[in-house]
Amino acid sequence: MTEFSYWDILRNLLLAGRWTVALSLIAFVGGGFIGLILLILRMSKKPGTETFVMGYVQLFQGIPLLVLLFLAYYGIGLFGIDTSPWVAAGVGLTLYTSAFLTEIWRGCVLAIPRGQWEASQSLALNFGEQLRHIILPQALKIAIPPTVGFLVQVIKGTALASVIGFMELTKVGKTIANATFNPFLVFSFVAVFYFLLCYPISLYAKSLERKMNVDR
Amino acid sequence: MLTVETVQAAKTVIEISGLRKSFGTNEVLKGIDITVTSGEVIAIIGKSGSGKSTLLRCINGLEDFQSGQISVDGKPLDHKSAAAMRELRQRVGMIFQSFNLFPHLTVGKNIMLAPTLVKNKDSAAAQAAAVKLLERVGLSEKFNAFADQLSGGQQQRVAIARALAMEPAVLLCDEITSALDPELVGEVLRVVESLANEGMTLLMVTHEMSFARKVSDRVIFMHQGLVHEIGTPAEIFGNPQTPELKQFLSSIAD
Repeated sequence: MTEFSYWDILRNLLLAGRWTVALSLIAFVGGGFIGLILLILRMSKKPGTETFVMGYVQLFQGIPLLVLLFLAYYGIGLFGIDTSPWVAAGVGLTLYTSAFLTEIWRGCVLAIPRGQWEASQSLALNFGEQLRHIILPQALKIAIPPTVGFLVQVIKGTALASVIGFMELTKVGKTIANATFNPFLVFSFVAVFYFLLCYPISLYAKSLERKMNVDR
Repeated sequence: MLTVETVQAAKTVIEISGLRKSFGTNEVLKGIDITVTSGEVIAIIGKSGSGKSTLLRCINGLEDFQSGQISVDGKPLDHKSAAAMRELRQRVGMIFQSFNLFPHLTVGKNIMLAPTLVKNKDSAAAQAAAVKLLERVGLSEKFNAFADQLSGGQQQRVAIARALAMEPAVLLCDEITSALDPELVGEVLRVVESLANEGMTLLMVTHEMSFARKVSDRVIFMHQGLVHEIGTPAEIFGNPQTPELKQFLSSIAD
């Protein structure tokens, strides 16, 4: 039985923190990409798209992330694909993130006055041009604070990937706790790590919000 | 006033026949027939809810309609064809009550955007045109300003310049002075009047009766989704035929 110094604990958590950050980024980039596609699909008002996107959002918002991760982990295996915790966690978190971001961003697009759609439409712009030049640039500005705020939820959500064996902060914390028999100390460190990751982002979201209110 | 010869010579720009439009079970247009010839200035008056704005919005396809026909330059309006609608909207400009300038773009970019995107004008040509149009509406120094730095009257004049940049055959004006402070109405109406004098075809929904009287060739009084009375300003304002029009005119007199 080896002795763990504070430094050992910190060092191991720090290394594991990289994977928390990496997984958060994967979830956010993947979820953002799919979320944007879903949003555009929904706004296009093509037959069936609205029902599809609404169903997608309801489904993945209505399933606990933990269960989603289990389903991704065991579900991908069912198709005969040898899945790793990386892939399963990436897929599960992307589904989760995309469902929420689509909804958040839809709210931002709805906040753009109808007159902006009508004016651009009466200038003969097509749907794609309206989105690209008129609607999305304005929606983007409103979307930044809630999107950054949601990033915090995603970072904390990655902790659940520990249950499918993904070696991120929480999982490594648990492993160390088992070795040191001092779970309270170790998980306190883990908590501090999450806090240090999330708090600056929350602060940033707040300051963005304040800046926007001044702009208006 | 139009003489017989000019009527025959003038080209029909808009032809509306049997136009019916409902919102759910509420029928707001109950069979409209109007023909507008090139260069004509038409004022549409009537109580709120009479269908005036809806009629304008149908002409450039902002509203769908259930039956009837609208054609612009002889081409029938077809909602199902995106290409046809794109072409139609290049011929029909619209100005709104709430200006609807794009707040994230400068005044100049507001005007240049559609010509560069839709008409594939290169940006130098679009910019030259925008400068000229801003001069025309008396705002040449505002090229780099943003909408929130302008007064309502200035914003509306930019909106007019923006619509003109597409070189439309017809301009639809939907209560374009209703959201303005009284002292700013004049500057916008002067621009519209100059357009009328230059031969632009105008269809305007308006509550400015003295303006309608002064610049329009014909006045349409709408009531309950129908063209209730139509005639020259002198006929409509000087000699109203129906009790509804008489009542409407007396209600706005005081």
